[in-house]
Amino acid sequence: MATNQFTLASPPTDAISALKFSPEPESTRVVVSSWDKNIYLYELRDENGNIGEGKLLQKFEHRAPVLDVCFGANEDEIYTAGLDWDVRRIDLTSSTQTVISSHDAGVRSVVYSKEHNIVVSASWDSTLHVHIIGENISAPAIVPLPSKPFSMSLSPTKLVVAMASRSLHIYDLKALAMLGSQAEAGKKLEVEPWQRRESSLKFMTRSVACMPDDAGYASSSIEGRVAVEWFDPSAESQARKYAFKCHRQTADDVDVVYPVNALAFHPVFGTFASGGGDGVVALWDGIAKRRIRQYQKYPSSVAALCFSGNGKYLAIAISPGFEDGKDEVAEGTVRIFVRELGPTEARGKGPK
Amino acid sequence: MGKKRRGPSLEELLARPWCYYCERDFDDLKILISHQKAKHFKCERCGRRLNTAGGLSVHMSQVHKEQLSTVDNALPNRSSLDVEIFGMEGVPEDIIQGHNQRVATQFQQAEVERQAVTGNPPAGQGGATPGGGQQPAKRPKLENVSDLKKRLAEHKAKKAEALAGGSSGDVTPVGAGQTTSIGFNASNPPAQQFSYPQPYTGAAAGSPYQSTASPVYQNFLPGGPQQYPSSTQYTSPSTYSPQPYTAPTPGQPIGYPSQPPSQTNTPPQTATGLPQRPPSLPSASTLPQRPVMGAPPVNAFQMQQMHMGQGGPNGEGTTPFATSVDDLISGAARAADQAAAPAATPASAPAPSKPEATDEKTTKKDKAKQTRLVYADNETSPEEKMARLSRYAYVPQEETVLAEVPAAVTAPNDTSM
Repeated sequence: MATNQFTLASPPTDAISALKFSPEPESTRVVVSSWDKNIYLYELRDENGNIGEGKLLQKFEHRAPVLDVCFGANEDEIYTAGLDWDVRRIDLTSSTQTVISSHDAGVRSVVYSKEHNIVVSASWDSTLHVHIIGENISAPAIVPLPSKPFSMSLSPTKLVVAMASRSLHIYDLKALAMLGSQAEAGKKLEVEPWQRRESSLKFMTRSVACMPDDAGYASSSIEGRVAVEWFDPSAESQARKYAFKCHRQTADDVDVVYPVNALAFHPVFGTFASGGGDGVVALWDGIAKRRIRQYQKYPSSVAALCFSGNGKYLAIAISPGFEDGKDEVAEGTVRIFVRELGPTEARGKGPK
Repeated sequence: MGKKRRGPSLEELLARPWCYYCERDFDDLKILISHQKAKHFKCERCGRRLNTAGGLSVHMSQVHKEQLSTVDNALPNRSSLDVEIFGMEGVPEDIIQGHNQRVATQFQQAEVERQAVTGNPPAGQGGATPGGGQQPAKRPKLENVSDLKKRLAEHKAKKAEALAGGSSGDVTPVGAGQTTSIGFNASNPPAQQFSYPQPYTGAAAGSPYQSTASPVYQNFLPGGPQQYPSSTQYTSPSTYSPQPYTAPTPGQPIGYPSQPPSQTNTPPQTATGLPQRPPSLPSASTLPQRPVMGAPPVNAFQMQQMHMGQGGPNGEGTTPFATSVDDLISGAARAADQAAAPAATPASAPAPSKPEATDEKTTKKDKAKQTRLVYADNETSPEEKMARLSRYAYVPQEETVLAEVPAAVTAPNDTSM
């Protein structure tokens, strides 16, 4: 079996917190945020245009571990969020960093909506900061949350925020954008989420990811389970939601249950990948409720997953001890794999 | 029916190809080979079918990096990889002989048994080898038919019993429904109790019963679907019909005092009431939801129950009732379902609509199986835990303002603490 997977050169030195492919369709740019306080920018193409292990283009040091990163309006602009409580914008061409807002605690996630040109950051101070990205970035609108956010994902029109206590808010991005435009610095703004939900999973939500077709989202928990739900509040749509077990191993009659750390939807096929603490990455067809395939176990826990803009590549970041914050991270255990997908490798098989 | 095909001859049996691994025999060598590929030489990982166990072993080790230790689906003493089998090739001689012997013994046994059953002359007529199909088959055939009939009748009776028994067993849950409905009756007791004696004393004939029948029906409502067994039973003996009729009536007085009125009512009603029911409709209309037909099936069914209690034959006997009421039953069952539906929905509707029905599924799936969570803290996320580690500690600085941050400032902050 020809190997269609390669490992990125010069990976971060500490656990990886997030990994993103550039959303541009043919781009092979990858940004990675790490607990070693750096943002890494990789380009998979070499000078000859061959896609391989790629090279590290740039590294941006932060004052504290970086927990999340996302691309902005184009692939020369990224936003980062970290334990230094700041949300930053980094211009990759000029390497300038701008703090666009500061939370009152570590910032867990940051997302950018192309459709509405806003950046939303979620912090453990239980707020969302909504920034309108324009000529000059305005002061953020602050939206209080009922609990600490753990994961955030957006679709073309919705923002899903998964929080502690199994709560989950779905915001209408248009409303958030409106709100952001009226924001006055430092003033908290109550905004009603479009929907409030309780997680379908009984345990802490680990990750959420929205379907690219704006129909719904998948969420995962620390207890080896993934739920697929739909935005549409109608009874029929809600009846379609389901959850399934995954990322478990049976050892001596005990089911060892791993957290599902990462979810990522395929931008073209609408299937999704899940990555677990067991080091396994599986591809699922959320509509047909079938597993498409499962890749051979990676040497350590899967920390982050991302499909490339055209869906031809799947990047997999692995980091040991991510779950329990082990003290030492052994050399060479933090790695980034990029898997080249066959034309139908991630495509759903259709209902049967 | 000319010549009846006798079973295959011993030679034919011995010539059949068979599978070394599971001792199954096949019509054709090709089928045997495809059987082996599908059952014994199939890779559990990728489903690929290999030709031999050795091939599968090599495949497993090369493709899946696994070691094949035994042949799948094989008899315990045949699962070894050492014997290279392909179809009938490679089977050790001693095992072939053992197989042949077994086939021969089985064949002879079967032969003896057949002779015992059929009373046929030993295959001798056709020669010691029972090769030729011979003429005899007639007498056994006849016997068989009568036997069959007898057995069929027995079987049907048994089945009917079982069904009736089963259905009465099923009724027990209904009992819960009954108590509630009885409670319901109690809520407006005068009218109903009044009505009840009325019909009974008034006439043993069916018509007056209707009023009482409706409560009966109601009690029975939850059992709606269970009426089906009775209808199926009805098919069995049609000749019994006279018997059951008489049987219930004696049963009546006994049952009457001991059982709730509703049930005692039933026998008379079924006995006479069938045709008369429609006219009695108005009285039933006190309970708007119940269609007329609701009552009869109930009665028939309950009768069965009573009979069952009193004795098996009677129970069987009741079935004919169902015959006469058959269409009514099915119709009533449907009606009952329909009647039950609106009644049920208001009660059940609020339940699903109230909660978002969120984790019903997940709770259902959580079985008792022992599990161990790798990350068991349901309150604090792994990232928060990590953030608390000293090496990741960060104390905010004053200069974090909305401004350009020179690269220098982004140096690690730990030193400043």
